[in-house]
Amino acid sequence: MFRLGIDKVMFVLTTASLLSLILLDFVSLQPNRILPGTGHSIVSSVGWGYALLIILPLLFNLFLSFSFRKASSIQRYSFQLLMLILVFLFMPMLLAIFATQHISETQIHARTGLGSAFWVLLFLTSLSLIELKQKLNLSRLKICFLIILITFSWLFFYITAQLDTLAIVREYTARSVQFQQAFRVHLYLVCAAVMSSIVLSTLLVMLMRRHHVFEKAIFPLLNFIQTIPSLALFGLLIAPLGYLAANSEWLQSINVGGIGWAPAMIALIAYSLLPMVRNTYVALNEVDASVIDAAKGMGMSPLEVFLQVRLPLAMPIILEGIRITTIQAIGLTAVAALIGAGGLGNFIFQGLGQAAMDMVLLGALPILFMALMADLFFSTLMSLFSHQDKTSRESQ
Amino acid sequence: MKPNAMIELNKVSKHYDGTIAVDSVDLSIKQGDFCVLVGTSGCGKSTTLRMINRLISHTKGQIMIEGQEIMSFDPQSLRRRIGYAIQNTGLFPHWDVARNIGTVPKLLGWPKHKIQARIEELLELLNLPYSSFAHKYPSELSGGQAQRVGVARALAGDPDILLMDEPFGALDPITRESLQQELLRIQQQIHKTIVFVTHDMDEALKLANHIVVMDQGRIVQQATPYELLLNPANSFVSQLLGGEDRGLKQAGLMHVADFMKTNRTMTPSDHQLAQIKPDDSLRLALSVMLWHQQEQLIVMDDNHCVGEISLQQIIQAKPYADHHG
Ligand SMILES: Nc1ncnc2c1ncn2[C@@H]1O[C@H](COP(=O)(O)OP(=O)(O)OP(=O)(O)O)[C@@H](O)[C@H]1O
Ligand SMILES: [Mg+2]
Repeated sequence: MFRLGIDKVMFVLTTASLLSLILLDFVSLQPNRILPGTGHSIVSSVGWGYALLIILPLLFNLFLSFSFRKASSIQRYSFQLLMLILVFLFMPMLLAIFATQHISETQIHARTGLGSAFWVLLFLTSLSLIELKQKLNLSRLKICFLIILITFSWLFFYITAQLDTLAIVREYTARSVQFQQAFRVHLYLVCAAVMSSIVLSTLLVMLMRRHHVFEKAIFPLLNFIQTIPSLALFGLLIAPLGYLAANSEWLQSINVGGIGWAPAMIALIAYSLLPMVRNTYVALNEVDASVIDAAKGMGMSPLEVFLQVRLPLAMPIILEGIRITTIQAIGLTAVAALIGAGGLGNFIFQGLGQAAMDMVLLGALPILFMALMADLFFSTLMSLFSHQDKTSRESQ
Repeated sequence: MKPNAMIELNKVSKHYDGTIAVDSVDLSIKQGDFCVLVGTSGCGKSTTLRMINRLISHTKGQIMIEGQEIMSFDPQSLRRRIGYAIQNTGLFPHWDVARNIGTVPKLLGWPKHKIQARIEELLELLNLPYSSFAHKYPSELSGGQAQRVGVARALAGDPDILLMDEPFGALDPITRESLQQELLRIQQQIHKTIVFVTHDMDEALKLANHIVVMDQGRIVQQATPYELLLNPANSFVSQLLGGEDRGLKQAGLMHVADFMKTNRTMTPSDHQLAQIKPDDSLRLALSVMLWHQQEQLIVMDDNHCVGEISLQQIIQAKPYADHHG
């Protein structure tokens, strides 16, 4: 006697992946940058033999989502994870194979566009990975290792020039210098904005903790700024900054003007202040009063109470504020390209203007990547500070 | 006023704008005293306690420690000389047990090996095996264990004075009982001067040799537990003592060993009698009698018969004035 159990989440995700591979285009072959390409399903693009490299692991996962065997669930999930990794590793390989089969060296404008099936597969496999990460309770270190492994497989095919015909790679090769420049500008803007906001919000929070009247003034102001749409705020800054720059040689000499990096920085900092100030202020205030009382009662000086007790206990929430701010700034900096601040947003808006979706991707994907990295960095940092969480997670 | 007082409060008051939390309190606590401040909620117990280590500054009057006015000390060094334990333990959640206990020694600048030795000594004193507890975090401890660590931390700097604000208030009755026993045992070993706040009169009677009853910021009566039970100053105090229930409370303070008939050998018929231990209270003896419907109990110490006690002896028992402590 056996009961047919079914893992609904994995079943649905895997079935959807398989269906998308059957019904949608995996890649498309474009003769050049603008002309629409001809779509290919996974089978017609690389043939059954290679297509099975991805289809078989998915079928296997589908099979594993029924639990009529006596295998323990941990074993099952580990197998599913292995299959997912295979899918991730074979994806760039299939693209490389498609290129060698369909594009000859002489077709310098021809390119491989990524089809809807590819994106759907990428999305659904990522979801499955997150699902398995929770079921297997994978540590952060293992997740990092997985990400590095997958990144390396893409890098390998890129460096060995097997992905050169990929549309996004073609876009990159055509403007690699601008890309690196834009990437750097984007990173600098975000870092500078986040650092200045940390300094500024520290000052504001100190002020508010000294004199509680400021609390009533600062929060409404920051809340108000947060409600202004980003494009409007950028626009609002053009006139006053332009006026100031016109009347100051010094400002002109450091490139401050109505457009450019200056209004972008101001707007980024203005948006960053609310989450940072709010989290820092609340975190410092919410530290258990009896813990502070005990610290004072032990004979710690006010500075020792702050540095050894209040700050470390508030740290996870403060870092959460910085994390939110950083991710928000990474996205907003893209919009700042509209007022000439540079950065990866340039590619997005140019691409949109030229209806070249691959160029949009060239801007959007690194932004996504940056945001993910920032998230990973700060959540790792936060976990270092929260002993309570660590112990409660281990005891689960 | 005795010259050898460890802590002395002279007409000490604390005013908050509008309310008077503590009103002209006079209190003298001798070295080695176990002084318990007891009273209903809001009567100013915590305020009085916290003025002693300057967590709250007093408005009027004088507070002296070993004859020196506390305002003449730097508040930090004053507090490092005074142990402090509170109801919610106030353990630092981001430090493990060992580091929590080592807080004051570290502030006092003790060398590392001495701090380590002190941590081991205190964990042993409080029945927390070093190997299993030193590196746990407060969130991994039960309420009773956390409170033991709280007491260990308060004792860490080897202070002469220990201030405790309802340290066992949040514990279940059985855990509280065993921690009270342990605190009494520790006090017999180390002879600190303890000021202990509670709103539980039973706890006060059990622990104190000097009870201070407070009401609305004033001291209503201070006495030894026996004097308090024998002569409550007014109806408020006798109400706190549980009214007619205080006969039992008093019996709870007296030990079988002091009232039993000794020099008794077992007779075969004794096997039908219920048994009691010499260091049990008369209250427990009475309860055992009621339960077994017997007027006589055998007193057994480690399987040896050491005496017998009868209902008559319990009823006629008179407390010695200075029996406790
Ligand atoms: N910061 C403050 N501002 C104004 N009034 C206060 C303040 N702290 C305490 N009080 C008042 O002082 C009185 C005594 O407070 P205290 O904390 O000493 O009481 P308690 O005896 O410890 O009570 P409990 O058993 O509830 O802890 C209370 O009436 C309280 O309202
Ligand atoms: Mg209190």
